[in-house]
Amino acid sequence: MKRAAALSALLTLSLAAAQKTATIGWSGAITGPTSDAGASYAAGVEDYCRYAVSQNTLPGIKLNCVVRDDQYNNANTQRNFEDYVGNMNASAFLGYSTGGTLQLKSTIQEVKVPTLPGSYHIGNVDGADSQYIFLPISSYSEQLVSLVEYVAKKDRGAKIALVVNPSPFGRAPVDDVRKAAQRLGVQIVDVQEVGGNNLDNTALLKRFESAGVKYVLNQNTAGPVANILKDAKRLNLLGKMQFMGAHYTGGEDLTRLAGDAANNFIWATSYYMFDEADKPGIQLVKKIGAANNRKPDTIRSVHYTSGMLAASIAIEAIRRSKDPSAAGVYKGITSMTGSRAFNPGFTVGPVTFSAKDHIGAESLRLLQADSTGNFKAITGAQRSAIFPLVHPLK
Amino acid sequence: MPASRFTQTGNYRVRYTQDQTIFATYAEQLSLLLLIAALFALPLILPRAWFPYLTQIVIFSVAVIGLNVTTGYTGLINIGQGAFMGVGAYATALAATRLNLPFYLAIPLGGVAGALIGTLVGLPSLRLKYLYLAIATLAFQIIFEWGVGHAPLLEQGGVIKPPTPQAFGVKDSFLNHNVFWYLVSLPVLISLALLWRNVLRTRHGRAMIAVRDNDRAAAAMGIHPGRAKLTAFLIGSFYAGVAGGLFMYFQKGAVIEDYSLGLSVKLLAMAIVGGLGSLPGSFLGPLFIVGLDRGVELLSQSALLGRVTAFAEGVDVASALRPFSFGMAIVLFLMFEPRGLANWWRLTRLYFKRWPFKF
Repeated sequence: MKRAAALSALLTLSLAAAQKTATIGWSGAITGPTSDAGASYAAGVEDYCRYAVSQNTLPGIKLNCVVRDDQYNNANTQRNFEDYVGNMNASAFLGYSTGGTLQLKSTIQEVKVPTLPGSYHIGNVDGADSQYIFLPISSYSEQLVSLVEYVAKKDRGAKIALVVNPSPFGRAPVDDVRKAAQRLGVQIVDVQEVGGNNLDNTALLKRFESAGVKYVLNQNTAGPVANILKDAKRLNLLGKMQFMGAHYTGGEDLTRLAGDAANNFIWATSYYMFDEADKPGIQLVKKIGAANNRKPDTIRSVHYTSGMLAASIAIEAIRRSKDPSAAGVYKGITSMTGSRAFNPGFTVGPVTFSAKDHIGAESLRLLQADSTGNFKAITGAQRSAIFPLVHPLK
Repeated sequence: MPASRFTQTGNYRVRYTQDQTIFATYAEQLSLLLLIAALFALPLILPRAWFPYLTQIVIFSVAVIGLNVTTGYTGLINIGQGAFMGVGAYATALAATRLNLPFYLAIPLGGVAGALIGTLVGLPSLRLKYLYLAIATLAFQIIFEWGVGHAPLLEQGGVIKPPTPQAFGVKDSFLNHNVFWYLVSLPVLISLALLWRNVLRTRHGRAMIAVRDNDRAAAAMGIHPGRAKLTAFLIGSFYAGVAGGLFMYFQKGAVIEDYSLGLSVKLLAMAIVGGLGSLPGSFLGPLFIVGLDRGVELLSQSALLGRVTAFAEGVDVASALRPFSFGMAIVLFLMFEPRGLANWWRLTRLYFKRWPFKF
């Protein structure tokens, strides 16, 4: 009896010792600038990991997800990355900010740790040192070019103004949008940089009005866009100008901040909306959110879904390769192609990656905010036809 | 008979030249040499995980010495030290990428760029004092961020990545990155600290202190206050430029977010906590602030605090405690120890110097 107990204890111990560990590290802004999006994103990563553990998604592998606040500070992002990779032997890194990801590019290339940033900046996957960086959905540049295509189809020759965040995140799409506009026969008449301290946008909007601008494209976070929309409402410009924006401009955050001024805002994103209850991905989001006692605002946020998508890609890659090493994750991610595409149900199209394709869910939809503040699809899932021509990836 | 230069416990200086020596005793010299040797030996003793923080402490110490030159020793409030670091960082990045200069030439060039811009920014100090000068330096911080954000040459604030540096046949890589930059930054800090200690006992150094204490009295004694102020800006921003160059390499690229107003405030906090107008304070301030940040992070991971869920969704204890502890440290030091940690250092040294006697 004693021998049996000792043997079973030994067996348990040796099994525990043999169990491999997969560490997935996230570093982003839970506090500080852009934390309105970052906190929900972090919650999504954390909760999906818990869900994967509860479902035993990785049999024989212990999943360890570490979520850390870097306060949108690149130095903290670097320290977190070094800790995850250098000390915890991380299988994958889930990033967040544009600056932090760009600064880490050469290091990521050196250590060969697959990285899924929360920033959909095209520069993250452009260039020879981007072999291990994968964008979960289409880039901001492609989202904005899709909006230009929409305008060109509807109103050829229309005058468009671009309002971008004064950062690499904001500026990156400007050149691509200009090139696309030229090809599509619409005019970019003004490009203005607006940051988070835009408390009065009267001058900006009057400038657009006098230039005959009919469409205002935003590449920003929801806060500055909400301020512009509220000022446009005050100046009775909402009927004269159509406001539009890329992924981080819209969603619940915008309607919460701008109120009814957000009505009719057109938004480009690859994610399904919280109200699309028939979608399996959204059902899963609700289920996981409720299981983790998240607040309704968090579960409704598209960034909660975004965090889940990033975590799900990394976990699926480990599941496919059955190898929790960084090389295993790379192999798993690059296997998500053709019939083996990954479809967790969070986005309007499947996630596809290969050694050459580093953009996951490439399909996107344009959605418009209705009078209740909910975004409804005005197009089906689509890809920009012109984007590969204006920005061939290096 | 003069007291032994090893064992003397009091002040036996009888000439001005003796008063100007850096070290009063051989014991002081020896202890400094031992400390430096110990600092160089740290990579052999401490785990790699310590070096991201130690390197930050070393680099920030260089910048804080510079801030002490302007604010601590000359009395010119400077809220733009982060921007001067940024000038040095971008100049270093451009020198490394456009001129293909190795890091040991690019970093001093960053210092020179910082010094030139710093002197220009210092020009209002000829007319302005106190809070008004502080606003002028703050204005430079804003102009710097805006200027970089609109300069295509500087990637509009995006990342300028320098080529991977190499020293003595060792290439900077992921595994040795932090130790590599610790060992590069440490000699820079030691040299610049010694340089400043020497400048301080020259005519220029004494003029700065005289201007800080009373610029009219200094002028009456034949000191040119304007020249002294500009010299302070020149030296202070040179130090910031060098620190910026080091930080740029340490961060693997120049990006505007690293040199925001937040950094200037952090450097000022380090100078206050360390002790304004004190060289040891320039090391103790960064040590305290970086250590506090790390300490709070470790504390939040402890079994007790790790379970606290009183904050907004997703916000952990470290996120909540970091800014709180940072603010509290500054307030408490200003209230209870305005002379900063340097005063504690002085008292400790005095205790051991006179031990076992108390008076």
